[in-house]
Amino acid sequence: MSTTNATSTGNDSHGDGHHDVSYLHPKGPLWVTLWDWATTIDHKKIGVMYMFATTFMFFLGGVFALAVRAELFMPTQVNEAGEIVGQLFANNIYNRMFTLHGVVMVFLFIIPAIPAAFGNFLLPLMLGAKDVAFPRLNLLSWYVYLLGAGVAIIALLGGGIDTGWTFYTPYSITGTEMHRQVFLMTMGAFILGFSSIFTGLNFVVTVHKLRAPGMGWFDMPLFVWAIYATSLIQVLATPVLGITVLLLAIEQAFHVGIFDPALGGDPVLFMHFFWFYSHPAVYIMILPGMGIMSELIAVHARKRIFGYKAIAFSSLGIAAVSFIVWGHHLFTAQTAMANAIFSALTFFVAIPSAIKVFNWVATLYKSGIVFNTPMLYALGFMFTFTIGGVTGLFLATIATDINLHDTYFVVAHFHYVMMGGAGIALFGGMHHWWPKMFGKMYNEKAGIAGFIFVFIGFNTTFFIQFLMGSQGMPRRYATYVPEFTIYHQISTVGSWLLLIGFLIHLFNFIASLRNGKPAPRNPWGGLTLEWTTDAPPIEHNFHHEPVIHHGPYDFEDVVPPFCDEKDYPLPAPLKPSDKKH
Amino acid sequence: MNFLNPIMSSLATTAPIASNADLNFLERMFLSAQSSEYAGSHDFVFMVIMWLSIVFFLLVMGPFTYFVIKYRRKPGVAIQRSVSHNTPLELAWSIIPLLLLCVLFFMGFEVFISGQIAPANAETINVRAKKWNWNFAYDNGALTDEYTEYVATDVPVFAIPAGKPIRLVMDSEDVIHSLYVPDFRKKIDIFPNRYSTMWFEASHAGERHYVFCAEYCGDQHSQMMAILDVLSPEAYDQWKLDNVVSIGDMYPPDAGEFLFRSQGCNACHSIDPAKSASTGPPWWGIWGRTEALEGGGQVTVDENYVRESIYTPAAQVVLGYPNQMNSYQGLIDPDGINAIIAFMKTLSDEGQANYEAEKAAWQAAKDAAEAEEQATEQ
Repeated sequence: MSTTNATSTGNDSHGDGHHDVSYLHPKGPLWVTLWDWATTIDHKKIGVMYMFATTFMFFLGGVFALAVRAELFMPTQVNEAGEIVGQLFANNIYNRMFTLHGVVMVFLFIIPAIPAAFGNFLLPLMLGAKDVAFPRLNLLSWYVYLLGAGVAIIALLGGGIDTGWTFYTPYSITGTEMHRQVFLMTMGAFILGFSSIFTGLNFVVTVHKLRAPGMGWFDMPLFVWAIYATSLIQVLATPVLGITVLLLAIEQAFHVGIFDPALGGDPVLFMHFFWFYSHPAVYIMILPGMGIMSELIAVHARKRIFGYKAIAFSSLGIAAVSFIVWGHHLFTAQTAMANAIFSALTFFVAIPSAIKVFNWVATLYKSGIVFNTPMLYALGFMFTFTIGGVTGLFLATIATDINLHDTYFVVAHFHYVMMGGAGIALFGGMHHWWPKMFGKMYNEKAGIAGFIFVFIGFNTTFFIQFLMGSQGMPRRYATYVPEFTIYHQISTVGSWLLLIGFLIHLFNFIASLRNGKPAPRNPWGGLTLEWTTDAPPIEHNFHHEPVIHHGPYDFEDVVPPFCDEKDYPLPAPLKPSDKKH
Repeated sequence: MNFLNPIMSSLATTAPIASNADLNFLERMFLSAQSSEYAGSHDFVFMVIMWLSIVFFLLVMGPFTYFVIKYRRKPGVAIQRSVSHNTPLELAWSIIPLLLLCVLFFMGFEVFISGQIAPANAETINVRAKKWNWNFAYDNGALTDEYTEYVATDVPVFAIPAGKPIRLVMDSEDVIHSLYVPDFRKKIDIFPNRYSTMWFEASHAGERHYVFCAEYCGDQHSQMMAILDVLSPEAYDQWKLDNVVSIGDMYPPDAGEFLFRSQGCNACHSIDPAKSASTGPPWWGIWGRTEALEGGGQVTVDENYVRESIYTPAAQVVLGYPNQMNSYQGLIDPDGINAIIAFMKTLSDEGQANYEAEKAAWQAAKDAAEAEEQATEQ
């Protein structure tokens, strides 16, 4: 048995008269419990609230995605009788729907989903801390998120914004009623930005100051490294979003030409400002997913992660390079010189991502893989993320990007990275930590069935979009020339498979909450600290402050805490002559 | 253009859009017709990246699949020890891809730069983009009069020569647009506050190519299209001569109809009695109609209302059609407005019934006047 699990088992007392209860234990009648949750400074409760909020946003954004795909099932055509056929929604409704899909998924789902939900829940547990460094700031960032989400949704549903999630000027500031809503929407993004900054700041300080005794930087789980890199980007990049919104406000209020060509401003400047934030934001979305991947692969393959330091530093490398590649979104808009510089820099970001993939593959060598839902998601990630990665090469190369820019090739690429990368890692992580979060097991067969639908549905929906995109199908089209019909139909059928997969997961989780089997403390045999505490964890996380005596992935030398040695036999120790270090 | 379904009907009814049937299987999956020399060099880079991606993908997925199959966990069996770090390996899989990426960068940069500067003998065509219409103005004053019906609008067909470089000098009337010709592999954003240029040289006479707007620009973005019709250089020169239009010499309703299409009114206003376009009020039966206005009140469509709506569209907006129109001040002169009014008057059952007779009368009067003029000259 490991020395970390020297804590007593069960919900017993410390001998100080205080009884340890699960953080989910109701505080009293319903309204008392609700008030307790609403005013909680417990990172676990805040993380769980984020999880429910972002899951709601995911389904909201998903409904609009399904509507977009449904509209594109048939091209709009005029039949021989002169009637318009094949059109479910008028163009202006379609344009609002793809905008809603983009804004909700980017700002309300994927940016907060992993860092704020999983980061909040797991970071202090993995570090062996009682809470994050600033628990009250954490609660504030939750309410700022709610406020920002509320403002954004009022703007989106109230006026109907049809600009796409990029809000390019001058289209977004043309003085019609509809476009005044854009300002409200960008205010929502501004507020959400502060939530992001607060959370990032909190996590950076937590990682620096609250690691358990004995935990050096290289004893931290790789998920923590990834969240740490993400938090640095959040703190440094998000203020630019705020500056952009302020400049928009100044332009509107005082008629100073900044972005509006009618006032002498420059729309290309807006593109630069927008992507100076939004490109690093792409890595806010994917880095935490990579962190989850490292945990899933190591635990479910029961193998020390290959190249720990390479993976840890590649997270920081990605964070650093993410700030200097924004111009690759502007290859059709900026000067040839700027194109050359940004293209060259963009290729550098491919390297740390590739390093991670190679190390994950190498980790599987001589490992022991189980095919449960979290691991299937991790393996699926390797497939989809690699496709997302190599198709990025077409977009970093200037000549080919000029052709592919603003086509479905780009749409397919970023869905392979965002949904096939961050999204799939998120669903894997959700199954992985679900037993710890709620103390209930989910049904494994249903989980696997959900994965199969999601994986096949995802690839059906998006792979075909590479083909139609590079053949010239532009994005954000409410209808299309008839040549592309079959491609769109395959893609739309894929979106229905995705829906089935997500509904299976949703019902599986609901069933688990209602009558799932009680979860053991360490169902997967993990070695990181969150598995040493109760499932669900007690309110202050650990019965005693944990002390670190082994690394997070020392599966070859340590039987995981609360696991039976029969199930986790250790390999024979190396002979002294075999030892290299 | 289509790899899965090559015989599906194409938009251009008079001549089909260029086909990619001469490309190999993998190219046909991913690329449209290759219709310029630049497209050929682009496709070479594209296929280099494609093969590199396939090899890289297999290099990752091969060992991955092997490990996943081979190293399944067996109950009660200890997992073997193995190294968890190997510096030479880490360096190898960092540096080798980096070198390959340097090669990719240079290939992409070289082809991009080769397509930047137009040859000195290139012919310039001025392109005006606006919501939601393309307008090509040729150097001799020619404008197109050919349109293809598409959804609820008409798509202009512009002639370009084969084997001669063409340089487009483009700006936008309103928001950002982007001119994209997939078959030439070229695209550039078009801004309201500067000129963007692009050049290309079409390879094959007799082909037609789609022009798409690739930067989202509002309601009719997906219908903001044009078709390029590649002619032999001789046919192109003749086309330009034939298409020099003098609006003043045309029968006024015909001149109005010409402006209706060339100025892009057709993107939002329908003239078909059966259809009503969603963006602007339909023009069928518009003359003399009483329209309810946004904010109360009503207006009868007469000369002054038409003139006001073209020059200051936001002044009196018809209820149910939120204003999306920009002023045409400086684009359509008063003679043009008169022509459009004359055109509007023909857009009713009665107007259509009288059209032929009135045009014949106008033509007869014009011919008589010309004959008299010639007679006096002699």
